[in-house]
Amino acid sequence: MSTNLNDPRHPWARLTSAARTVRDDRDASAPYGFATRIAALALAQESRVASLLERFAFRAVGVAALLALGSVALNYQEITTTGSVAYAEEEFLQADDAVTIVLDLAAD
Amino acid sequence: MPDDAAPPLDLAGCLERVRQRDQAAARELVDHLYPLVIRIVRSHLPRRVAEEDLAQEVFMKMFTRLAQYQGAVPFPHWVSRIAVTTCIDHLRAQKRRPEFRWADLSENEASVLDAVMTNENEVAANDAMASHELVHKLLAQLKPDDQLVLRLLDLEQKTIAEIAALTGWNQSLIKVRAFRARRKLRKLFQELQKKERS
Repeated sequence: MSTNLNDPRHPWARLTSAARTVRDDRDASAPYGFATRIAALALAQESRVASLLERFAFRAVGVAALLALGSVALNYQEITTTGSVAYAEEEFLQADDAVTIVLDLAAD
Repeated sequence: MPDDAAPPLDLAGCLERVRQRDQAAARELVDHLYPLVIRIVRSHLPRRVAEEDLAQEVFMKMFTRLAQYQGAVPFPHWVSRIAVTTCIDHLRAQKRRPEFRWADLSENEASVLDAVMTNENEVAANDAMASHELVHKLLAQLKPDDQLVLRLLDLEQKTIAEIAALTGWNQSLIKVRAFRARRKLRKLFQELQKKERS
């Protein structure tokens, strides 16, 4: 027996050669209702994915708005006093600033 | 009216209508591509999987990925690749491969196999069906990727370039797989010959 599968005398080559002569006579057209079912399933699947995304997107917007409002409400006092705190910090920093002190002395 | 007289499908127009969610166009597309898909499914059908279920899976993938189709290759080629990869995924899922035993062969299959292993004559025309069955049983002994390569090369007589286009594998990989598959098949024939002698 030949050891090379490509050799036409090898059993594999002779078997495949004979197998190629078998014609597939089975009907190759789509079974009745197959295309309708697939088309309906495919388009339904697409709309389901889209609506799922829309629903999640709307929920996300709602949750984000609630979080934003909540954070504003919780930090309202901080926000309203931020201006005066910043001014006080600025004065404090200026007082500690060596350059300011030197300039102040020079001005005197 | 014969089918031959039906006007050819305007594929580009049909795809455009499918993208606009036209159900009639989707039906036309499935009807048009079914013969191509079922031919691929039938030649690579894994055990215990119904061909219609597999064809349905191929078409569902086609519709899901339609937005990814850029027109770089003809649409039927793109669908063929989906069909081949779907079949190979199913073949890979079947981890266990049936053992090839003389006892499991039909009388005709056993005599054809015996004949091709003991003489160098061509297989008789009336034994073509038995040869076809034998080839599929022998291929079933190989790994799914190896089965696919040998089926495409030796049965469907496709070129390496055609297989590359169909599977998305590079040509070197296909050659390596073909070499490996042939080596396993050669070993299998040697074992069969020993078993037969014993």
